[in-house]
Amino acid sequence: MTLAAAQNSVPLEHWLTLSGVLFTLGLCGVMMRRNVILVLMSVEIMLNAANVALVVFNKYLIANAPEGVALDGQVFVFFTIAVAAAEAAVALVIAMALFRRLDTVNVDDVANLRW
Amino acid sequence: MESLFFYLFGGLAVVTTLLTLSSKNPVYSAIWMILSFSATAGLFVLLDAFLIATVEVLVYAGAIMVLFLFVIMMINLRTSEAERLRLSPLAILAALTFLVLFGRAVSDPGPMLGKAPNDLVGDPDVIANLMFTEYVVPFEALSLLLTAAVVGCVVLSRKKVKA
Repeated sequence: MTLAAAQNSVPLEHWLTLSGVLFTLGLCGVMMRRNVILVLMSVEIMLNAANVALVVFNKYLIANAPEGVALDGQVFVFFTIAVAAAEAAVALVIAMALFRRLDTVNVDDVANLRW
Repeated sequence: MESLFFYLFGGLAVVTTLLTLSSKNPVYSAIWMILSFSATAGLFVLLDAFLIATVEVLVYAGAIMVLFLFVIMMINLRTSEAERLRLSPLAILAALTFLVLFGRAVSDPGPMLGKAPNDLVGDPDVIANLMFTEYVVPFEALSLLLTAAVVGCVVLSRKKVKA
Protein backbone atom coordinates (compact mmCIF):
# COMPACT_ATOMS: atom_id res chain seq x y z
CA MET A 1 0.00 0.00 0.00
CA THR A 2 1.35 3.40 -0.94
CA LEU A 3 1.80 6.17 1.58
CA ALA A 4 -0.91 8.29 -0.03
CA ALA A 5 -3.37 5.42 0.19
CA ALA A 6 -2.48 4.89 3.85
CA GLN A 7 -3.10 8.53 4.61
CA ASN A 8 -6.41 8.50 2.78
CA SER A 9 -7.71 5.46 4.58
CA VAL A 10 -10.16 5.69 7.45
CA PRO A 11 -8.46 5.62 10.87
CA LEU A 12 -8.92 2.55 13.00
CA GLU A 13 -10.55 4.58 15.77
CA HIS A 14 -13.41 5.59 13.50
CA TRP A 15 -14.11 1.98 12.51
CA LEU A 16 -14.09 0.85 16.12
CA THR A 17 -16.33 3.73 17.15
CA LEU A 18 -18.84 2.77 14.47
CA SER A 19 -18.77 -0.81 15.68
CA GLY A 20 -19.25 0.38 19.27
CA VAL A 21 -22.18 2.59 18.31
CA LEU A 22 -23.92 -0.28 16.52
CA PHE A 23 -23.28 -2.65 19.42
CA THR A 24 -24.65 -0.15 21.93
CA LEU A 25 -27.75 0.41 19.82
CA GLY A 26 -28.35 -3.33 19.81
CA LEU A 27 -27.85 -3.46 23.58
CA CYS A 28 -30.37 -0.64 24.09
CA GLY A 29 -32.81 -2.54 21.89
CA VAL A 30 -32.46 -5.72 23.94
CA MET A 31 -33.08 -3.86 27.17
CA MET A 32 -35.79 -1.43 26.10
CA ARG A 33 -37.97 -3.25 23.58
CA ARG A 34 -40.43 -5.73 25.05
CA ASN A 35 -41.45 -7.47 21.85
CA VAL A 36 -39.61 -10.76 21.59
CA ILE A 37 -39.12 -10.38 17.82
CA LEU A 38 -37.52 -6.97 18.31
CA VAL A 39 -35.31 -8.34 21.07
CA LEU A 40 -34.08 -11.01 18.65
CA MET A 41 -33.41 -8.40 15.98
CA SER A 42 -31.37 -6.41 18.49
CA VAL A 43 -29.28 -9.48 19.23
CA GLU A 44 -28.61 -9.81 15.51
CA ILE A 45 -27.55 -6.15 15.42
CA MET A 46 -25.05 -6.80 18.21
CA LEU A 47 -23.64 -9.84 16.41
CA ASN A 48 -23.32 -7.78 13.27
CA ALA A 49 -21.42 -5.03 15.10
CA ALA A 50 -19.01 -7.66 16.39
CA ASN A 51 -18.56 -8.91 12.81
CA VAL A 52 -17.58 -5.41 11.71
CA ALA A 53 -15.00 -5.24 14.48
CA LEU A 54 -13.57 -8.65 13.50
CA VAL A 55 -13.08 -7.65 9.87
CA VAL A 56 -11.63 -4.28 10.87
CA PHE A 57 -9.06 -5.90 13.16
CA ASN A 58 -8.19 -8.36 10.43
CA LYS A 59 -7.56 -5.41 8.16
CA TYR A 60 -5.53 -3.27 10.56
CA LEU A 61 -3.84 -5.70 12.91
CA ILE A 62 -2.15 -8.05 10.47
CA ALA A 63 0.87 -6.72 8.64
CA ASN A 64 1.13 -7.02 4.92
CA ALA A 65 2.34 -10.59 4.73
CA PRO A 66 3.89 -11.46 1.40
CA GLU A 67 2.06 -14.78 1.20
CA GLY A 68 -1.14 -12.93 1.95
CA VAL A 69 -3.22 -15.68 3.52
CA ALA A 70 -3.80 -14.13 6.94
CA LEU A 71 -7.57 -13.88 6.74
CA ASP A 72 -8.45 -15.62 10.00
CA GLY A 73 -10.69 -12.76 11.09
CA GLN A 74 -12.86 -13.15 8.02
CA VAL A 75 -13.16 -16.91 8.62
CA PHE A 76 -14.38 -16.11 12.14
CA VAL A 77 -17.02 -13.84 10.64
CA PHE A 78 -18.29 -16.79 8.60
CA PHE A 79 -18.64 -18.88 11.71
CA THR A 80 -20.44 -16.03 13.44
CA ILE A 81 -22.87 -15.63 10.56
CA ALA A 82 -23.64 -19.35 10.52
CA VAL A 83 -24.20 -19.45 14.28
CA ALA A 84 -26.40 -16.34 14.04
CA ALA A 85 -28.51 -18.01 11.38
CA ALA A 86 -28.98 -21.12 13.49
CA GLU A 87 -29.79 -19.03 16.54
CA ALA A 88 -32.32 -16.91 14.66
CA ALA A 89 -34.10 -19.98 13.31
CA VAL A 90 -34.41 -21.69 16.68
CA ALA A 91 -35.36 -18.48 18.51
CA LEU A 92 -38.06 -17.63 15.99
CA VAL A 93 -39.56 -21.09 16.34
CA ILE A 94 -39.56 -20.58 20.12
CA ALA A 95 -41.30 -17.22 19.63
CA MET A 96 -43.95 -18.90 17.49
CA ALA A 97 -44.49 -21.65 20.06
CA LEU A 98 -44.77 -18.94 22.72
CA PHE A 99 -47.40 -17.12 20.70
CA ARG A 100 -49.37 -20.31 20.06
CA ARG A 101 -49.44 -21.36 23.70
CA LEU A 102 -49.63 -18.08 25.62
CA ASP A 103 -50.92 -15.75 22.92
CA THR A 104 -48.31 -13.10 23.64
CA VAL A 105 -44.95 -11.98 22.34
CA ASN A 106 -44.25 -9.61 25.20
CA VAL A 107 -41.27 -10.79 27.20
CA ASP A 108 -42.67 -9.21 30.39
CA ASP A 109 -45.62 -11.61 30.25
CA VAL A 110 -43.35 -14.64 30.20
CA ALA A 111 -41.46 -14.27 33.44
CA ASN A 112 -42.30 -17.54 35.19
CA LEU A 113 -38.69 -18.61 35.46
CA ARG A 114 -37.49 -15.26 36.68
CA TRP A 115 -36.23 -15.26 40.27
CA MET B 1 -12.87 8.80 -1.46
CA GLU B 2 -12.74 5.85 0.88
CA SER B 3 -13.55 8.09 3.85
CA LEU B 4 -16.53 9.51 2.00
CA PHE B 5 -17.99 6.03 1.50
CA PHE B 6 -17.14 5.09 5.08
CA TYR B 7 -19.11 7.99 6.50
CA LEU B 8 -21.92 7.42 3.99
CA PHE B 9 -22.38 3.72 4.75
CA GLY B 10 -21.58 4.11 8.44
CA GLY B 11 -24.11 6.90 8.87
CA LEU B 12 -26.67 4.92 6.91
CA ALA B 13 -26.09 1.88 9.11
CA VAL B 14 -26.48 3.86 12.33
CA VAL B 15 -29.59 5.73 11.17
CA THR B 16 -31.34 2.63 9.85
CA THR B 17 -30.48 0.74 13.04
CA LEU B 18 -32.00 3.56 15.08
CA LEU B 19 -35.13 3.41 12.92
CA THR B 20 -35.22 -0.36 13.37
CA LEU B 21 -35.28 -0.01 17.12
CA SER B 22 -37.74 2.89 17.24
CA SER B 23 -40.38 1.68 14.77
CA LYS B 24 -43.73 0.82 16.31
CA ASN B 25 -44.60 -1.64 13.59
CA PRO B 26 -42.37 -4.76 13.59
CA VAL B 27 -42.67 -5.05 9.80
CA TYR B 28 -41.13 -1.61 9.40
CA SER B 29 -38.42 -2.65 11.82
CA ALA B 30 -37.57 -5.63 9.64
CA ILE B 31 -37.46 -3.52 6.47
CA TRP B 32 -35.18 -0.94 8.10
CA MET B 33 -32.96 -3.75 9.32
CA ILE B 34 -32.56 -5.06 5.77
CA LEU B 35 -31.27 -1.60 4.84
CA SER B 36 -28.97 -1.62 7.85
CA PHE B 37 -27.45 -4.95 6.81
CA SER B 38 -27.05 -3.70 3.24
CA ALA B 39 -25.13 -0.68 4.53
CA THR B 40 -22.95 -3.02 6.57
CA ALA B 41 -22.27 -5.02 3.41
CA GLY B 42 -21.04 -1.77 1.84
CA LEU B 43 -18.70 -1.32 4.80
CA PHE B 44 -17.33 -4.83 4.26
CA VAL B 45 -16.61 -3.95 0.62
CA LEU B 46 -14.62 -0.95 1.86
CA LEU B 47 -12.57 -3.37 3.96
CA ASP B 48 -11.85 -5.56 0.90
CA ALA B 49 -13.92 -8.38 2.42
CA PHE B 50 -15.83 -9.08 -0.75
CA LEU B 51 -16.97 -12.60 0.06
CA ILE B 52 -18.26 -11.51 3.46
CA ALA B 53 -20.13 -8.61 1.89
CA THR B 54 -21.84 -11.06 -0.47
CA VAL B 55 -22.70 -13.46 2.34
CA GLU B 56 -23.99 -10.57 4.43
CA VAL B 57 -26.49 -9.67 1.73
CA LEU B 58 -27.41 -13.28 0.93
CA VAL B 59 -27.69 -14.68 4.44
CA TYR B 60 -28.45 -11.71 6.69
CA ALA B 61 -30.44 -9.34 4.48
CA GLY B 62 -31.86 -12.22 2.49
CA ALA B 63 -32.47 -15.38 4.46
CA ILE B 64 -32.58 -14.26 8.09
CA MET B 65 -34.69 -11.16 7.51
CA VAL B 66 -37.14 -13.07 5.30
CA LEU B 67 -37.44 -15.54 8.17
CA PHE B 68 -38.15 -12.65 10.56
CA LEU B 69 -40.75 -11.13 8.22
CA PHE B 70 -42.34 -14.54 7.73
CA VAL B 71 -42.76 -15.05 11.47
CA ILE B 72 -43.97 -11.48 12.05
CA MET B 73 -46.66 -11.89 9.43
CA MET B 74 -47.52 -15.42 10.51
CA ILE B 75 -48.29 -14.45 14.10
CA ASN B 76 -49.88 -11.27 12.76
CA LEU B 77 -48.43 -8.78 15.18
CA ARG B 78 -50.48 -5.67 15.59
CA THR B 79 -48.75 -2.37 15.96
CA SER B 80 -47.46 -2.66 19.45
CA GLU B 81 -48.67 0.63 20.88
CA ALA B 82 -49.29 -1.15 24.15
CA GLU B 83 -45.61 -2.00 24.34
CA ARG B 84 -44.15 0.01 27.13
CA LEU B 85 -40.56 0.97 26.68
CA ARG B 86 -38.46 0.64 29.76
CA LEU B 87 -36.31 3.65 30.45
CA SER B 88 -34.74 2.32 33.55
CA PRO B 89 -31.30 2.25 35.12
CA LEU B 90 -30.55 -0.22 32.34
CA ALA B 91 -30.31 2.72 29.96
CA ILE B 92 -27.51 4.08 32.09
CA LEU B 93 -25.80 0.72 31.79
CA ALA B 94 -26.08 0.98 28.00
CA ALA B 95 -24.60 4.46 28.03
CA LEU B 96 -21.75 3.24 30.22
CA THR B 97 -21.10 0.35 27.84
CA PHE B 98 -20.87 2.76 24.97
CA LEU B 99 -18.54 5.04 26.88
CA VAL B 100 -16.23 2.14 27.73
CA LEU B 101 -16.20 0.86 24.14
CA PHE B 102 -15.69 4.37 22.79
CA GLY B 103 -12.92 5.09 25.26
CA ARG B 104 -11.10 1.88 24.38
CA ALA B 105 -11.47 2.56 20.68
CA VAL B 106 -10.29 6.15 20.73
CA SER B 107 -7.82 6.40 23.56
CA ASP B 108 -5.94 3.14 23.42
CA PRO B 109 -5.78 1.26 20.13
CA GLY B 110 -2.47 -0.06 21.42
CA PRO B 111 0.09 -1.25 18.90
CA MET B 112 -2.29 -0.65 16.02
CA LEU B 113 -2.29 3.11 16.42
CA GLY B 114 -1.57 4.84 13.17
CA LYS B 115 -0.82 1.62 11.36
CA ALA B 116 -1.78 1.49 7.72
CA PRO B 117 -4.29 -1.18 6.75
CA ASN B 118 -2.94 -4.15 4.86
CA ASP B 119 -4.09 -4.87 1.34
CA LEU B 120 -5.22 -8.44 1.87
CA VAL B 121 -8.34 -9.15 -0.17
CA GLY B 122 -11.00 -11.54 1.08
CA ASP B 123 -11.00 -13.75 -1.97
CA PRO B 124 -13.22 -16.83 -1.81
CA ASP B 125 -10.36 -19.20 -2.66
CA VAL B 126 -8.13 -17.88 0.14
CA ILE B 127 -10.92 -18.09 2.71
CA ALA B 128 -11.99 -21.54 1.52
CA ASN B 129 -8.40 -22.75 1.78
CA LEU B 130 -8.18 -21.52 5.35
CA MET B 131 -11.57 -22.96 6.23
CA PHE B 132 -10.81 -26.45 4.97
CA THR B 133 -7.30 -26.72 6.35
CA GLU B 134 -6.66 -24.81 9.55
CA TYR B 135 -10.31 -24.44 10.59
CA VAL B 136 -11.67 -27.78 9.44
CA VAL B 137 -12.59 -28.98 12.96
CA PRO B 138 -14.68 -25.86 13.81
CA PHE B 139 -16.19 -26.18 10.37
CA GLU B 140 -17.37 -29.72 11.04
CA ALA B 141 -18.60 -28.70 14.49
CA LEU B 142 -20.60 -25.98 12.78
CA SER B 143 -22.28 -28.54 10.53
CA LEU B 144 -23.27 -30.46 13.66
CA LEU B 145 -24.67 -27.26 15.17
CA LEU B 146 -26.73 -26.54 12.07
CA THR B 147 -28.09 -30.09 12.07
CA ALA B 148 -29.04 -29.70 15.72
CA ALA B 149 -30.77 -26.41 14.92
CA VAL B 150 -32.78 -28.01 12.12
CA VAL B 151 -33.85 -30.89 14.36
CA GLY B 152 -34.66 -28.46 17.15
CA CYS B 153 -36.84 -26.36 14.87
CA VAL B 154 -38.78 -29.42 13.74
CA VAL B 155 -39.33 -30.62 17.30
CA LEU B 156 -40.34 -27.21 18.60
CA SER B 157 -42.79 -26.50 15.82
CA ARG B 158 -44.87 -29.66 16.31
CA LYS B 159 -48.48 -28.98 17.16
CA LYS B 160 -48.80 -30.84 20.43
CA VAL B 161 -45.88 -31.94 22.54
CA LYS B 162 -46.79 -34.95 24.66
CA ALA B 163 -45.77 -34.26 28.22
